[in-house]
Amino acid sequence: MEGDQETNVYTLVARKPSFDLPTACPNCLPAYIYLKLAQLPFELAFNSTFPDSDELPYFESDTYVAYNNEDGGVIEKLKKDGIVNLDSQLQSLSDYLSLKALIVSWLEEALTYEIWVGTEGISTSKIYYSDLPWVISKVLFYKQTYLAKNRLGITKENAEQREKQIYKRASEAYEALSTRLGEQKFLFEDRPSSLDAFLLSHILFIIQALPVTSVLRCKLLEHSNLVRYAEKLKSEFLEASSSSPSPPLHSFPSSFPRKSSKPKSKPKVEKTEEEKKFKKRARFFLAAQFLAVVIYVSVMGGGSSDELEYEDEDD
Amino acid sequence: MENPAEKPDPNPSTPKIESEDEREELGDINGDEEEEEEYEEEDDGKPRTREDAIADRIKAESLFRRMRATPVAVRVHDVIVKGNEKTKDHVIEAEVDVVRQATTLQELLKASKVANFNLQALDIFDSVKITLDSGPPELPGTTNVVIDVVESKSPITGQIGTFTKAEARSSSLEGSLKYKNIFGYGDIWDGSLAYGCDHSAEVGLGMYLPRFRGRPTPFTSRVYLSTQDWLKFSSYKERALGLSLGLIASKYHELAYNIAWRNLIDPSQMASRSIRRQLGHNLVSALKYTFKFDQRNSSLRPTRGYSFISTSQIGGLAPDSRTLRFLRQEIDLRYAVPLGFYPAALNFGIAGGITFPWGSGYKSRASCVPERFFLGGNISPVCSLGGPSALWGFKTRGLGPNEPRREVQDDESGDTYERDFVGGDVAVTAFADLSFDFPLKWFRDRGIHGHVFACAGNMAELSENKYRNFTAPKLLETFRSSVGAGIVVPTSLFRMELNYCHILKKQEHDRAKSGFFMTFSTSS
Repeated sequence: MEGDQETNVYTLVARKPSFDLPTACPNCLPAYIYLKLAQLPFELAFNSTFPDSDELPYFESDTYVAYNNEDGGVIEKLKKDGIVNLDSQLQSLSDYLSLKALIVSWLEEALTYEIWVGTEGISTSKIYYSDLPWVISKVLFYKQTYLAKNRLGITKENAEQREKQIYKRASEAYEALSTRLGEQKFLFEDRPSSLDAFLLSHILFIIQALPVTSVLRCKLLEHSNLVRYAEKLKSEFLEASSSSPSPPLHSFPSSFPRKSSKPKSKPKVEKTEEEKKFKKRARFFLAAQFLAVVIYVSVMGGGSSDELEYEDEDD
Repeated sequence: MENPAEKPDPNPSTPKIESEDEREELGDINGDEEEEEEYEEEDDGKPRTREDAIADRIKAESLFRRMRATPVAVRVHDVIVKGNEKTKDHVIEAEVDVVRQATTLQELLKASKVANFNLQALDIFDSVKITLDSGPPELPGTTNVVIDVVESKSPITGQIGTFTKAEARSSSLEGSLKYKNIFGYGDIWDGSLAYGCDHSAEVGLGMYLPRFRGRPTPFTSRVYLSTQDWLKFSSYKERALGLSLGLIASKYHELAYNIAWRNLIDPSQMASRSIRRQLGHNLVSALKYTFKFDQRNSSLRPTRGYSFISTSQIGGLAPDSRTLRFLRQEIDLRYAVPLGFYPAALNFGIAGGITFPWGSGYKSRASCVPERFFLGGNISPVCSLGGPSALWGFKTRGLGPNEPRREVQDDESGDTYERDFVGGDVAVTAFADLSFDFPLKWFRDRGIHGHVFACAGNMAELSENKYRNFTAPKLLETFRSSVGAGIVVPTSLFRMELNYCHILKKQEHDRAKSGFFMTFSTSS
């Protein structure tokens, strides 16, 4: 086990690297970049056998775990639990929310569409299935493609129309972001934010992981300032060594406050102690009744059990 | 030679006939009690006079005298199969092949008994009759073996039973529907639903063939979908869709191949670190060889004899290197000594197992959690032959390496445990059990007896480089042990024990408590 109370070792568990990216999965990359932008030292571990899980990426430190399918994602959870928060003063800004909506809805939709439908999943084998045997990867690929289409609301009838809509929205989003960014280093003044993490991850993934024939990739390359922005941040934060001694941009508590974090669970009815005891007793009572009947029938009726043996039967 | 085996035993008063055994053998071959009627039928309806009957009897007596004196040479000329509409001739002839090798009448009688048993064991006939008829008159000293079978009229049967499956390592209740002999090859198809005590459920379709392409042992195949719920103990659920093929199944040896898609998930999202790392999909392609030698007089209450079982498994036998690669070996040795007074007996047992991954980087790779060993549960070590599995007094998966679960700030502690038991790569258990009858006849008649026992066991991790910290003295130091006494109640479905256990030694976090416990076991 790593770490004790004094030195917490942070680990991000993500999918495997490929396409010259530290993690090839488009859901895991934003979390990785966010931690890099915050200059938080962490270790990277890989899970390559669960391509259809929505828990990945998860961030852990000793017994603390932040799963991606809780509380709006890993990044949100890290902000909420006070581990690392790059958006502390930005959330009140008016355009923070609109940019966030643009990035996490339209751009993410476009990316999902492009990976599973637009490029027919060419890149997925390296991202998700590199460590799984062929049979399993084929079945999971079909499953994930089907789920992606469902999520995007694509059916046979509206496929074309939906595709046009998705690409149009992506184009508009790139236009708006390009105008907003200009030649700035970050989206907001001089400080990195979680939106930079999402945008950088999106751009890097499209450029490096998608094939050259991808429609979305072509649309993105039309905005050269977005490409320059990505290259600059990549060389500064991602290619630098992760154990740099530079002070973090924002202070964070050395021992994070233990906030209550209920795991994602199906809605359960809270039972009172008494009800639980009663149910337990009832179960024992029923089991005892059943046992008594069984014993009575078999011991009193049949006698002891014998193995089946071939015996000579006397006439 | 005229119908020697059809001679019924209607005249047991004849003092010269001392060969009761032989007569019973003759009667037994047919398996049911219709010899007299058949004998009369074979006579083609000729009126039987008293002289005829006496003549026949004298012939039979002389034959028996000859048989007692010397082996009576005989050769099987032909095997005639009657009554099979669906079943292929070669299926039946394959089971009775043993009679062709008989050279004397005595051997033939024995072989006929074996053949009858084999045919009954196919489980597709309502009745089986083997009779020895005289061969063609131009060939003296020959006999024809006539096999009369009555195929089951209702090919579908259902049954419910309790079993102990080797893989599940616990008892399970199973209901199945069998469809027999669809294609006439003695094939038995079954669909089954099983629910196990270890929170497992399985639905499967199986096929059994007594002979497959001329091989001597039966061939079984089974497609199954199973789930095992270990959330409470180890924070994961295991789902598997697989195909298992029984390649060799003889008295001592068993070889099976299993290919399965296994998925480990954690819906509670509370798992500890080791379990979290193992969640996901796996393809298991494994060959399992079992050698079993069981000379005990009973598997539910052994009082004499010894048994030895060794199970070896190798996983990763596929051209694809991404299947799960592991090695697993289990052995179990039992010895029962009768003590003479009351039918008391002393049972000893020792079991051990080890599992390890193989392939590149095997030393630092973690072994797969479902392949690890877990000790504890409500089965009795006396009955669970097959490897280290149970210790009296310790709850299911209640001891061994464990890790803290994900932290959660929750005030309701209730039944929730805070630690996951992740299993061990090496496990050892040993037990001693003294069983004795109670003095009251009421208990003895029902097989209820008492026992006093002691057991000990331990586990350790080896994979992920933890073998470097493994030392035998450390293993001995942390051995868990318990003693106790109880009453054993054998029922027709299972063996139940009501025990009081006292935990002598346990480690921190073990789920074990001194007190009363019940165990349920079925014969394995």
